[in-house]
Amino acid sequence: MSEEKKVPAYSQEHRAYLNSLRRKDRFVTAMRYLLLVACLLIWEVAARLNWIDPFIGSSPARLTAAILRLYQSGELWLHIGITLYETVVGFLLGTLLGTLVAILLWWSPTLSRILDPYLVILNALPKIALGPILIVWFGAGVESIIVMGLLISLVVTIMSVLAGFNAITGEKQLLMRTLGASKLQIFTMVVLPASVPTIMNALKISVGMSWVGVIVGEYLVSKAGLGYLIVYGGQVFNLDLVMASIVILCLLAAIMYYAVAYLEKGICQRMGI
Amino acid sequence: MGKTIVEAKDICLTYHEINGETQAVDHLSFSVAKGEFVSIVGPSGCGKTSVLSMLAGLLEPSAGELHLEGGRPGYMLQRDHLLDWRTIEGNILLGLQVQGRLNAQTRENALSLLKTYGLYDFVHSYPRQLSGGMRQKVALIRTLACSPDLLLLDEPFSALDYQTRLTLADEIHAILRKEGKTAILVTHDIAEAISMSDRVLVFSGRPARLKGEHAIHLTAPDSPLKRRNAPEFKEYFDTIWKELDKNV
Repeated sequence: MSEEKKVPAYSQEHRAYLNSLRRKDRFVTAMRYLLLVACLLIWEVAARLNWIDPFIGSSPARLTAAILRLYQSGELWLHIGITLYETVVGFLLGTLLGTLVAILLWWSPTLSRILDPYLVILNALPKIALGPILIVWFGAGVESIIVMGLLISLVVTIMSVLAGFNAITGEKQLLMRTLGASKLQIFTMVVLPASVPTIMNALKISVGMSWVGVIVGEYLVSKAGLGYLIVYGGQVFNLDLVMASIVILCLLAAIMYYAVAYLEKGICQRMGI
Repeated sequence: MGKTIVEAKDICLTYHEINGETQAVDHLSFSVAKGEFVSIVGPSGCGKTSVLSMLAGLLEPSAGELHLEGGRPGYMLQRDHLLDWRTIEGNILLGLQVQGRLNAQTRENALSLLKTYGLYDFVHSYPRQLSGGMRQKVALIRTLACSPDLLLLDEPFSALDYQTRLTLADEIHAILRKEGKTAILVTHDIAEAISMSDRVLVFSGRPARLKGEHAIHLTAPDSPLKRRNAPEFKEYFDTIWKELDKNV
């Protein structure tokens, strides 16, 4: 609306400058697609001409056929659905729990000091090592995988959200104290809204972590899901199936990342920041 | 001048840190009458802000007596600290909301302050759309919205450029006079202190002691900008300058 209102008369020089910017943008976009198409083409040609063994190297055509077969047998949505479910639940629980713990640690700096070494060690520990324990505790099923997805993002979420809370300047809190605010008011009215951008950034990182956790979880124990397909495909030497699953995984991970980024943009816009 | 609303008797303040203790304020006594504009000048780091913090109830004096009439004083900081995610309206209502005093009447009062001081057009704008001087004025209205009797101003102009600073000092002085507020201004700018105040208190270097007290009588209209041109202005400036200089 506002763009229509004011179309300022730019000088010819400025128009040329804008055009050059637009050309650059178009070039970058075109190159991105070209790179993808070129890779697929070379891969396909290499497989057809037997430069690589299509049995272990697969090819775009074989990969598409594998996806189609999964689709026709009705398995495709089942595997996607299960993995997506595990990831989303693990991610949401990890974020919720991580943020709650971060709030607790912000509230009590003493508690934060006490727990600091434990957090550092938990962060350094490869969570995958806990796999066997999780299977014993939560059973060989979806629950273990969700817990794995949760665990792997939990400590990172706690640490980055807490760092976000602590980065809110003392002076804004001082202002609230001069107005007579309680600690709860300082938190809900200043610290929490001011850390929304940091929290959203933490989410973008932990969404990737949840994928790692879920796929690793599915490697260890699963009867369905994309991680299961990858392991199964590897065991029966069906590399087409493995590659197809990885491609689907790429797409899903990208969609979820952009969903979080979109959410971030929406929230920030609504908050006017 | 009216009755005394601030009375400090022999107050001391000591900060404790792991590497030792620092005495910030040493047996300081002063009083402020209702409706008065008092400035505190002193070398930087002398404990001026500590005195304001004690007046605001953020710090307890280690010794001595501090007596304040009326409710919670309003505090204005060096930076406006407007909350980016709240509109100007949301920002000026912050204090009332925090204190649980937000109702139709207090809200109307806050909005009428915006109207009176020419910022009503921005009521639904966000802070980033305002200039530095306007933002600081909004910060003042946020403070006034809680209708405090006493205002504590902690170098509220020092983050602004020179021109904005002079204009805003003039405007804020007029606002405070019009609203009949008592004010204590902390500054390191001697000219600012003389031009705005009825009385200037000179503090020594740390620990802060009262070094001198100057009632300001200028033959000029009651406006900081015009008061700067009064014939007596330079005399006050020189006296206070020398008093501060002895410290170095």
